[in-house]
Order: sequence, then C-alpha cells, then structure tokens
Amino acid sequence: MKFHWFHLMPYPELPENFKTDYRSVWVDVPSSLFDPKVGHRAYNDYLDELEYAESVGFDGICVNEHHQNAYGLMPSPNLIAAALARRTSRAKLVIMGNSVALYDPPTRVAEEMAMLDCMSGGRIVAGFPVGTPMDTVFAYGKSPATLREKYYEGCKLVLRAWTEPEPFAFNGKYTQLRYVNVWPRPIQKPHPPVWIPGGGSVETWDWCVDNDFLYANLSYFGYLQGQKVNDGYWATVERAGKELNPYRCGFLQFIGVAENDAEAERLYSGPALYFYQRCLHTYPGFGNPAGYTSVPTMRAGIESMVARSTNRNAVEGLTWKDLIERGYVVAGSPESVVQQLDNLANKMHVGHLMVLCHYGDMSKEVTLYNTTRFAKEVIPKLRNKFSEYEDKWWPTQTLDQIAEPAPLTAFV
Amino acid sequence: MLNSETIRLSNGRSWQVYGGGTGPALVWLHGLSGINPGDPMIAALERKHRVIAPLAPGFTDLAELDEIGNIHELALDYDDLLEHLQLDGAILVGHSFGAMVAAEIAAHFPRRAKKLVLLAPVGMWNDAYPVADIFAEPFIMVEGLLWHDQEARAALAARRSNEAGPQSDAERIIAVAQGLTAITKFTWPIPDKGLRKRLPRIAAATLAVFGEKDSFVPPRYAEDFAKGLREVQTVVVKGAGHMLPYEKTDEVVGLIETFLAA
Repeated sequence: MKFHWFHLMPYPELPENFKTDYRSVWVDVPSSLFDPKVGHRAYNDYLDELEYAESVGFDGICVNEHHQNAYGLMPSPNLIAAALARRTSRAKLVIMGNSVALYDPPTRVAEEMAMLDCMSGGRIVAGFPVGTPMDTVFAYGKSPATLREKYYEGCKLVLRAWTEPEPFAFNGKYTQLRYVNVWPRPIQKPHPPVWIPGGGSVETWDWCVDNDFLYANLSYFGYLQGQKVNDGYWATVERAGKELNPYRCGFLQFIGVAENDAEAERLYSGPALYFYQRCLHTYPGFGNPAGYTSVPTMRAGIESMVARSTNRNAVEGLTWKDLIERGYVVAGSPESVVQQLDNLANKMHVGHLMVLCHYGDMSKEVTLYNTTRFAKEVIPKLRNKFSEYEDKWWPTQTLDQIAEPAPLTAFV
Repeated sequence: MLNSETIRLSNGRSWQVYGGGTGPALVWLHGLSGINPGDPMIAALERKHRVIAPLAPGFTDLAELDEIGNIHELALDYDDLLEHLQLDGAILVGHSFGAMVAAEIAAHFPRRAKKLVLLAPVGMWNDAYPVADIFAEPFIMVEGLLWHDQEARAALAARRSNEAGPQSDAERIIAVAQGLTAITKFTWPIPDKGLRKRLPRIAAATLAVFGEKDSFVPPRYAEDFAKGLREVQTVVVKGAGHMLPYEKTDEVVGLIETFLAA
C-alpha cells in the first residue's frame, strides 16, 4: 500500500456561531471572515506540515483545488505544488487536481503541470476532477449542462498536448486552437499518471476504466459510507475485463492516531467537529444544480436526492462518538488504526490511501504528532499489503539526481 | 385535455406542438414548467385564437439541446419551426423563459412577430435589482418561489392530478430539474445574453406584463423593457407572482385580448 498526506487547507478561525449565523462555507461565504494575517500563518504552517510528511516517509503529498471555500484555501493547487517542489525531493506531488473545464484554454493545465513535473524532477501525479458544483458552476460560472462534456474534451486536449511530438490544430466544441505546442514538456513519458477524483457517478467510473486512469473516491464520510461507491467502481472494472489491481483505486480517510481512545478524543474531537459542523456547512441549493446530475442518475438515486434537497444539514448534531462509529474518522491507538485501515483496504480494495492527519482547526503541534505516529506506527504495518500487485499508477521516472535549492550566498 | 402532434422538420428536428382553437394564429411559448395536459392558460387563449404551443427543446429530451449551443442557435431553431408551419407574422406570447425566447425570435427575425406579449420575461439583468438565482435553490423550493398565490398553486396541482393522474414528489422534482436544465445553456449564470441591445430590432407592438409580487423577476424590469422597445405598453399585475398567467389567468388573458384588439 501507499500512503499520501492530504491537506485541505481550511481557514482555521471560523467563528463559533458560523453554522447558525452564516448560510454557507462555500460560494458566498463572507470575505469579512478572512483575515489575511491568519492566512499568512495558515499557508506557512500548512506548507510545513506537507513538507514534514515527506520527511517521515509518506509516499505522496496531496493538494487540491477549491474556489470561494473557507475549508479549502487552494484556488490554485499548482502554486502550492510549486512551493513544495523546491523544499521536497522524494515524495510525489499528488495534484488532486486541476478542474480542466475551468481553464480556457485547457492547455494552461498542460503547461503548468509540465512545469511542475520538470521542477520536481518527474514527481507529479496529474489529477483531473470534474469539480464540485460549488467550484465549477457557482464560483466559476460554468453551465452545469455542458460542464462534463467540456471537461472530457479538455482532458483529451491536455493528454494530446503532452504526447503529440509535433504542433497540432485542435478544433473542439469548446476549445479551438490553431497551434497546440506545449512548452515545457513533462519528464514522465508518455505523461504523468492520471488520477480522477470522483464521488460516485457512473460516467466517471467508465471514464477511468476505459482509459486506465486511477479512480480516487474522495469522500468525507469514511469507508463504511464509501463502500457502495467502490463496489460500483470495481464492478465496472470487472465488467471491462481489467485486472482488479488495488492500485487503480484511491480513497480518502480522516485519521487520528493517539495513545488510546481517550487521548484520540481529547486531541481530535475538536478539530473533527470543527470540520463536520463548520466546514461542511454548505447551502444545499449549491450542491445539486440543474443539469449537474443527469436525469437518469437522478431517477436512479431519487430517494437520496429528495432527502438532500429537503435536509438542511446531513451532518446536523454529529458527535465524536458518531464520527467514530460511522467510520468518518478512523481514530485510536496505532493498533486500532492499523486494524481499521486493514479492514478498509480489504473491503474497498484500495492501494492508495490518502489520509487527512490535519482537519478543521487542528494545531500544528497536534498535526505533527498525528502525522508522526501514523508514519512510524501505522504505515510499517501495512506497507507490504498488496505487494503482489504492480502499481502502474505511480510516477516511476523520477530523476535520480533532484536539484536542490542552492544556499543563499551574499554577493559582496 | 390539449391536442398535440409531433411535427417533423426536413432538418431532422422534431417538435411536440400543442394547441387548438380557431382565429388568428397565436404562438404560446411556455415557462419553466413546460406544457401540462390541462394547461388553463392555453385553454383560455384558445377561445379566440388558433394556439400553437411548441414544447421547448430539452423539456422532454435533453439530447435535443446537443446541437443548440447558444441563444442565437435557439432562435434559429424556432425560426425553422415557424417557417415549417408557415407562420409569418403571428402573435407571439411567452411566459418567463418563454417570454425571453419570444423576444429573441422577434429580435432576430422581426417579421415573425406581428404582436408580442411578454409575461414576467427573463432575459435582462440590472445590477440594481438582480433576478433571483433560482438555480441555487434546492429543487423542492423552486416552485414555492415562483408562485406567490400558494392556493392557486395547489388548485392547479390538484387539477393536473385529476386529469393526468397523481404526480409523486420525486417526479415533480425531476420535472423542475429537467425544465431548469433545459434553460441553463441560455440563462446560466446570468440570463442576460444580449437581449437588451437587440430589443430595438423588435418591430412588433409589445405588451410586457409583470407580477407585483414576483420574487424571481422583480417588476422593476418593466423599466428595462420599456426603455429598449420601440412600441411598448407595460403593466404590473397586483398580487401576482412569477406564475402570473396561472395565478391571475382571467386578468392576464383580459389584458392580452384588450392589447390585441387595439
């Protein structure tokens, strides 16, 4: 198994009364709540934490893209990846990823990711999410009816731009370019591994399986809830007659490692409840705009959709006990966490585990404690799991000699 | 129950067209909820007119929108239908998004409209009084926002379920979602696709009617339409919401008939 340290980069000082006094953490969250000085500290702490994860042995460090979101301060994951490229040398930079349909032309994504692959010495994973409705249709104004088609066209353009040796013309429905000729070029050939973050739509499973992209199930609701989505994905893999290789699947899980259950609750319940009660406080109208979900998909999932449109908060009244019992957070002693994750990996058949060791308003001290214990006491116990499979979804062409930042010498 | 027929055009497009009655040709361009079997507004208009009510592309099959990329292509699509039906100079009456379509047809092809009636028209934007973002409401809330008179809403729903059988909550929500999806290409994220600058192209005398209590399109948009149109009369109906043709059917039909008789 491989383990990746994922940062959402939440704003750490949302007010106590956020849930009752504000409509949404996303899209129209008031900018008056953002203090740039807090932002300065948060970004620098968060970069430290990601870099620290490399030093204790995580395989990858993950960044992602959100817009107008108080729990995700990374409108540009590529900026964060660029900063990480300089101070890390071994961990892969898992960019989860760039919402291709938001960029005109989408070759911008091909350019920036190629830059990052060069800067990092061939260490990037290229993630291409469709993007949530909050990010894409509300914050970036894309029509939900055409978003997915534009996304597919953009992804194909990016991959072609990376692989075709000569300049070419692209006459698409959404993008027309007379000269596609991306400079620089990625180190990894034919292109960096492609990971597709998703939340359970049938179309995305087919897209991943047909193209041999990794499917990453990015759920905030743990492995017990995420099972159905993974089952659907693996059924699609099986139908296509492809190898049921756990490395073609990723999963996101909240983690809290401590001496025992009591210490886990003391350290992690505050940050976890901050996340579930303040960070997940999104106005329901933003969650499922017309056209984002196809009518057949709506018809298939009508009960949950009805529930979603009437239920103001699916996370209302959650307690720490609920978070543990429902598996939203895997927490406890290292032995307990190992046992739960072993169970998760078996049930979901997941080779790439993305872990959130930071969430909500967790302090740097607690984050590093959680990260260290996970790296030292959990990873070694699960490291050899699935070693009989070849991981074909991982950067393997990283340069032997990675350039290091030169010391800053004074010219006198 | 309304009559309907499927009309196939030589370009391969097919349209579901409702209506009946005799008299001068009147094209009804429906709003967000499509055309329902017992539509009382169409029935009322049929008393003095031959009503032709095409179902907008996407309302039954979203694939119809694949080749219609923007509002101009939508206007062309309607022009093809009107050409096929040999409707040159008909009365165009539209509600909500349908009123936007009616105005766009009349602006793109001025000879298609002899007279134009816009009921709670979408299609404009004013920073001082923005239209509500109905796309950012849970589907189940949308109808409540469009109707001011909730009793009229319940009465129409009851009538519909008598005529066409009861509709489950789920099916009702899907219908709302599908209608909204069908208009996103032409109204997302802001429904101003240049109509303001095209309004002066419209040759037909126009009646623009707004609901005093419309919480989607504020009645102040009467000013914006009045400014742009060459020959226009604006009316604000007291106590009506966005669904004004269904909340105040008799009053609205009366306004239309008076306008057309003038």
